[in-house]
Amino acid sequence: MAEGPVHTPSLMRAVPSGGSLSADVEMVGRCRRGDSIAWRGLYDRYAPVVYRFLSAFGVPREEREDACQEVFVAVYRSLARFRGEARLSTWIYRIAARHAGRIARRRKVRTLLSTLLVREPPPPPAADPSERSERLQLLDEMVSKLSPKKRLVLVLFEIEGVPIEEVAKIAGCPENTAWSRLHYARSELMAMAKRRER
Amino acid sequence: MTPQHRWPDGPDEVSAELRRVLDEASLRGPDDMMLRRGWAAVAEPPEPPRARRGFWFAGGVATTAALVVAGAFWIRPRLADLAQHAAHERPAAQNEAATPGPRRLMLEGGVEAVLGRSSVMRLEDGAPRIEGGEVRFSVPHRPPGHPFVVRAEGYRVVVVGTRFGVNVEGLAGERKAVGVDVDEGIVEVWETATQRRVARLTPGESWQSPDVDAESPAPPAAVDAAPAPSGPTPTIPRPARNLHHGGKHAAVHALALASPGEAGATSAETPATAEAVAARVALAAGDAPRALQIYRAMAQGTGPSAENAAYEVGKVLNEKMHQPQSAVAAWRRYRAANPDGILRVEADVSIVETLARIGDTDQALSEANEFLRRHPDSERRAEIARLAGDLYRARGDCRHAVATYQITLGASRPRDAVEAAAFHRADCLVRLGDAGGPEAARAYLRTYPNGKFRGEAAALANGSAPRP
Repeated sequence: MAEGPVHTPSLMRAVPSGGSLSADVEMVGRCRRGDSIAWRGLYDRYAPVVYRFLSAFGVPREEREDACQEVFVAVYRSLARFRGEARLSTWIYRIAARHAGRIARRRKVRTLLSTLLVREPPPPPAADPSERSERLQLLDEMVSKLSPKKRLVLVLFEIEGVPIEEVAKIAGCPENTAWSRLHYARSELMAMAKRRER
Repeated sequence: MTPQHRWPDGPDEVSAELRRVLDEASLRGPDDMMLRRGWAAVAEPPEPPRARRGFWFAGGVATTAALVVAGAFWIRPRLADLAQHAAHERPAAQNEAATPGPRRLMLEGGVEAVLGRSSVMRLEDGAPRIEGGEVRFSVPHRPPGHPFVVRAEGYRVVVVGTRFGVNVEGLAGERKAVGVDVDEGIVEVWETATQRRVARLTPGESWQSPDVDAESPAPPAAVDAAPAPSGPTPTIPRPARNLHHGGKHAAVHALALASPGEAGATSAETPATAEAVAARVALAAGDAPRALQIYRAMAQGTGPSAENAAYEVGKVLNEKMHQPQSAVAAWRRYRAANPDGILRVEADVSIVETLARIGDTDQALSEANEFLRRHPDSERRAEIARLAGDLYRARGDCRHAVATYQITLGASRPRDAVEAAAFHRADCLVRLGDAGGPEAARAYLRTYPNGKFRGEAAALANGSAPRP
């Protein structure tokens, strides 16, 4: 096998460093006690991350803003269940991933039902005018063709810059499985890109 | 490092390009306005966090009890009804016993429809028309101007985001009655023929039509457009009848209770959110003065909802009532009351854009420069700088235009603004006789080989562009 570049994504800054586990626990504790400043801090830190993750995961633009808000409502409602065993970012990614999966399933069912009922599936999501780059649109298209499990690992690692041990926690699988999914996701992406190149 | 940890197939051009695009994707993100809108929505979450898991158990017990009670209410009157009126039962009602339970359908826009056992619903261009029986809907929040419309006989039920039921009673070819009841949010009922709003329902309320003649379907073009109101807000023509009580409709109530997903999603609406929904419904129905009235009343309160309402006052004045000057005044009032408000950037941007649109260049430039000074980290900076550059250029002030376009070029997004700024900066430099002008045009062509100004940029680059 030819020598390829190492795995590290070049933009690790994507993930907010947040802080130590104890700082995360303290912040969540303050939110739970109704401290609006802490809740605002949490929102400011993680809203861009959640939005970007939902975009990369393929949530259509018209649903993204609402989806992001729904994730934060879910985060707020689940604050009591944050035990500080994982980083806050990991926990929030997990909630966002579940939500994104639900949206994808909903869309799939809707498409299926529309096909059955009116014989015409809903139009594909419109391209984001703020993301005019053809390359980005192609990337989104290719990523959307990956299986949800591979897509999650690829988006978290390559786009979000989440370390693989955290990716494994978010995906709920062993680290080696996460590496394996990443490997196959990259291979499929490469194959798709090469097919397009030809 | 195992092979799994590396990109497959070596560092060829395709894989390098792929990694570059992945890096580019990691720079995507929401703009300030979206974040602020999001904050306005979640600043007052709908219910406090649950403290203990034990509540789940208690909730489960309560739900089960509610189901048992609802089931009993459903079965008892039904049995009595069947016993007393077996001879007079209609064919549709007889069919109910033989057909399976309610059917759930997902419609476009995430709308969930639950059809009763003998309900008949037709989709016309994706919009539902209920021809018989009862259908309950759960409608996620809709964007302004795109209400969800359900047709039932001579009525349209217009909603923005809520849970409600529509019931059509009567046999085919006979006079049919329409009933609407609301679980959550606000629903308006409009009479198709007269384009009049005949009812506005809040949670717990219901409405029953006078019997109407069965009619042929209305043209599909009217499906997504909320009807325009005529005259003052009409009143409900008949006293509301509570559809949730009595044998037939108790089944519907049990259905709503039977779904844990729906029960979990239901939360007590705060007065502020109910008012906000009412304002959105009014806007969706084309009743901008009413929306304005609601927002103005809300703005008298405190907290993010009041702040949001104060901002929305300007938006309604600008977009719906076409009063840009009043809108600017409203946003300025918002700004004065909330100098560090959560929608401050949004208000500032709206003021600049509105002033530019109505041709008040001096004020627009003054506001734009103040924005650039005040918000050094805003994601809207590039757009505002581009707008200011365009305004300077339009008045022939190329020197200031170059300086402001330069601010836009310091950002990577939005691409449209950056591309336009790159070209117009080059154009201004050429107009100023600056030696860097043609080189700036060449830089534009290198960055945007297929850009929308490529023709003009090529002319600037080789010195063949017409001089002003």
